[in-house]
Amino acid sequence: MTAQTLYDKIWSEHIVAQRPQEPVLLYIDLQLVHEVTSPQAFEGLRQRGLKVRRPDRTIATIDHSIPTSDRSLPIADPIAARQVAQLGVNCAEFGLPLCAPGSGHQGVVHVFSPELGLIQPGMTLVCGDSHTATHGAFGVLAFGIGTSQVEMVLATQCLLQQPSRNLRVNVTGRLRPGVTAKDVILALIAQIGVGGGTGCVIEYAGEAIRNLSMEGRMTIANMSIEAGARAGLMAPDEVTFAYLKGRPFAPKGADWDAAVARWRTYASDPDALFDQEVTLDGSALEPMITFGTNPAMGIGITGSVPEPARMAAGVERDGLVKALAYMGMTAGQAILGHPIDLVFVGSCTNGRIEDLRAAAGVLKGRKVAPNVRALIVPGSEVVKRAAEAEGLDRIFLAAGAEWREPGCSMCLAMNGDMLQPGQTCVATSNRNFEGRQGPGGRTLLASPITAAASAVRGAVADPRSLA
Amino acid sequence: MKPFAAFASSIAVLAADNIDTDQIIPARFLKTTTKEGLGLQLFHDWRYGKDGAAKADFPLNQPAAAGAEVLVGGDNFGCGSSREHAPLSIKASGVSAVVARSFARIFYRNAVNLGLPVIRCADLYDAVQDGDEVVVDTEHGTIVAGGRTFQGEAPSAVARRISEAGSLVELIKNHGWAAIEEVV
Repeated sequence: MTAQTLYDKIWSEHIVAQRPQEPVLLYIDLQLVHEVTSPQAFEGLRQRGLKVRRPDRTIATIDHSIPTSDRSLPIADPIAARQVAQLGVNCAEFGLPLCAPGSGHQGVVHVFSPELGLIQPGMTLVCGDSHTATHGAFGVLAFGIGTSQVEMVLATQCLLQQPSRNLRVNVTGRLRPGVTAKDVILALIAQIGVGGGTGCVIEYAGEAIRNLSMEGRMTIANMSIEAGARAGLMAPDEVTFAYLKGRPFAPKGADWDAAVARWRTYASDPDALFDQEVTLDGSALEPMITFGTNPAMGIGITGSVPEPARMAAGVERDGLVKALAYMGMTAGQAILGHPIDLVFVGSCTNGRIEDLRAAAGVLKGRKVAPNVRALIVPGSEVVKRAAEAEGLDRIFLAAGAEWREPGCSMCLAMNGDMLQPGQTCVATSNRNFEGRQGPGGRTLLASPITAAASAVRGAVADPRSLA
Repeated sequence: MKPFAAFASSIAVLAADNIDTDQIIPARFLKTTTKEGLGLQLFHDWRYGKDGAAKADFPLNQPAAAGAEVLVGGDNFGCGSSREHAPLSIKASGVSAVVARSFARIFYRNAVNLGLPVIRCADLYDAVQDGDEVVVDTEHGTIVAGGRTFQGEAPSAVARRISEAGSLVELIKNHGWAAIEEVV
């Protein structure tokens, strides 16, 4: 038997049919559904008189379009209200479980599902959402698909897929204080570029990865797509098993022991060959922040903005010039002290309890600067309850930050939480594309502690200065 | 849409790498539950100013590229979200093919599934400008511009069948799931 990577193992276990030179028909263990990318798929099923093949392998929630303000009020935007209502209609008609607001489990699609213990090593998982890569942190082959494919998986529980190449990223050494999982992934994308993982599934390995919690691992896997990768994977270990144990959908009793024994097999064989390997020295990293309009435009927090004049003429330099103009940045300026208007802590990247604890650790006993509006948006109702039980909400409110209801919120500005043109936001989310947080809005991606420190200083700040 | 026939058109060149799905159609337009009307918001924030007026310098607003059915882009076209609304808005706006140096993977797959021809071609991007007339052969992946022939990547057998049917959904609707078994 030839040595296999973790990806090869999961892939080969899920092949339903295969012919030379053609895509593989792959079995999908679980599909996550949200309101934005599913209505057209359900309408397609309806028109063709089809049922959902495995309602028990499908689960829905509401996250993108939902307001994060008072949930007792109706949704003011009639189009958003219709989209949210339509998901309820579709789930009822097709017999799917829906974690709606107030259910106790609603949340960002990539936050609520691991909390339920639904995400288990060795699975294949899809969702009409590119940040589905998040679940790779559990040793799950998880990737985003389009709505036509959502429909196909709803109808058949299978998907046509081309195999990917294997890219291993070794993050060596120990992270220094103030350096988080978010900084690791921003540093990686800055190194390999937004297309650096194209056609690949990334397996993250090395001491710095092993030492991360599941929350930290999810932050890294989540942004695999920002390097163009199909998915991100991490081999499950004791940290994974400890996270899963006792969760509602996790196996119990003798089933648990059998499951853990099987889960341990999901690791790359020692002599498995990777198509490509990249090494990142974790011990050399400092907190990262982006200055431009794609996630690869990132620098260390004590660094300065690159100068187009030092680059060769070409599309890359043109792109940098355009990005700096959009962002209101000056070539060569220090990023520390750059003025900001908002701070957003939340999203499928950094909206989990550990992220909120980290932000609260910085904000405790301090005040958000008067020129800054800070939004703290828990990733799910579970996260919100846990944070309130620990008193984190009171820390945020005492600091002058807003404590909001769970949802995608200001990550992509679909729900009314948005920047005004020209405003700058330090955000813990995943994309800094032009207008991502509202037309004309400017996004600086960073970790929860960098975001919180910047909120206190009223400008881009080094979290180590407030440690 | 002109699947698998050579057709002539003017082109619009989007002169950038990493054109992302939030530029192609901003997320705030995705609250719809149907596939209708998405063409109107294509490149909305690049195309229109705050007052809603068309920006003269955007390629699709220039007279030379008026009615262009071919979009030309750089590397990693369509990066970002998995939302199918992005290729759908391109298709709905009357574009018949996108030619780029390279595509982000999910965008590429979504375009194929919607029957929007997407051609990887390394050399065209640097050789053309807005309003140039080209002949695109989506079956063979070739583009003729200024008397030169540029060889891009021809579609796969699966992509061809999907495009002939109009979309993955149409293919399955018309031929049943056997259509998938045939190509797998």
